[in-house]
Amino acid sequence: MITAAETCDFINEVVCKPANVKELFEFANFGSSQISRTEVLILLAGLIPVALMYFGLRKKSTVPGKLQSVVESIFSFVKDEIAVGVIGRGGEKFTPYLISIFMFVLVGNLFEVTPLVNFPVTSRMALPLFLSLLTYVIFLVVGVQKQGIGYFTHLIWPPGVPVALKPLVGIIELVSVLLVRPFSLAVRLFANLVAGHVMLSLLLASAYFFIVQPGGVEYLIARAPIGAAWPGGVEYLIARAPIGAAWFTLGLAIYGFELIVSILQAYIFTLLSAVYIQTSLHPEH
Amino acid sequence: MEAAYALIGYGLAAIGPGIGIGLIAGNAVQAMARQPEAAGMVRTTMFLGIAFTEALALIGFVLFFLV
Repeated sequence: MITAAETCDFINEVVCKPANVKELFEFANFGSSQISRTEVLILLAGLIPVALMYFGLRKKSTVPGKLQSVVESIFSFVKDEIAVGVIGRGGEKFTPYLISIFMFVLVGNLFEVTPLVNFPVTSRMALPLFLSLLTYVIFLVVGVQKQGIGYFTHLIWPPGVPVALKPLVGIIELVSVLLVRPFSLAVRLFANLVAGHVMLSLLLASAYFFIVQPGGVEYLIARAPIGAAWPGGVEYLIARAPIGAAWFTLGLAIYGFELIVSILQAYIFTLLSAVYIQTSLHPEH
Repeated sequence: MEAAYALIGYGLAAIGPGIGIGLIAGNAVQAMARQPEAAGMVRTTMFLGIAFTEALALIGFVLFFLV
């Protein structure tokens, strides 16, 4: 994207467009190896929670240290607020699954606002789709375990609904539970993170174009002694720099916002997984 | 031109969820103001409602990329 701007005719075109938006999503492999940046980050997102849990809960002292209290508060938050708070009776046994999914998605999301990484691994559709399929399998298995084959017949022919409405409600229930649930769970996480990543890239790259790129500071320093050869002159930079500063300020504001979004989306993903498991476990609600 | 249609489509897709999230958040604030002791429960339910409503806008956003 940045390379596209270097070939751009910046005198006639105020805004340099990247040739193709797909450039935003392409990253080179490490050297000649087949390992891409995404795979390394996925591995890290798996290892960091494990390391955090191991070092945080290794000693189990009564007066917790800093790391231990952080890990314990995350753990008790997921256990009390999500596992027991949402699923209710029998929710404790889903705590390990929910805590691993929460930590993995949280670390994966926070890569978006980590300086020098700035790439959320959960913005690759494969990852949220896989996680949501895990939840899908779990809540189907739990539903079948709890209600037997009645789980599916209740979906198609819901009890407690007038007979005339049963086929209609049945179709809606069937589609919403078996198709829309896993799809929307995955798309929610994916689209939030992609939107944030694209927004940050566009704003901060715009700031870079307007302040640093050709015609900006670099050009001024390189060509200033020669004088006549560079287009626009100081006026050109003065005209562009405030626009760049505005984009940069907005980009920083969005950066803070994305920090909140990352944490919130990890919470929502875990919460919805718990809600789906709860509807299978306690069908009476 | 297709991208322009997709942009218009995304804008239209964002209207409904925008209104919906506004209603949810507004009513949640009202509920929390009336019963501060139920704030935790209301907040969880509010996030759930927002997540369900927001999905519609996000599907529009994804369609914009697919075009």
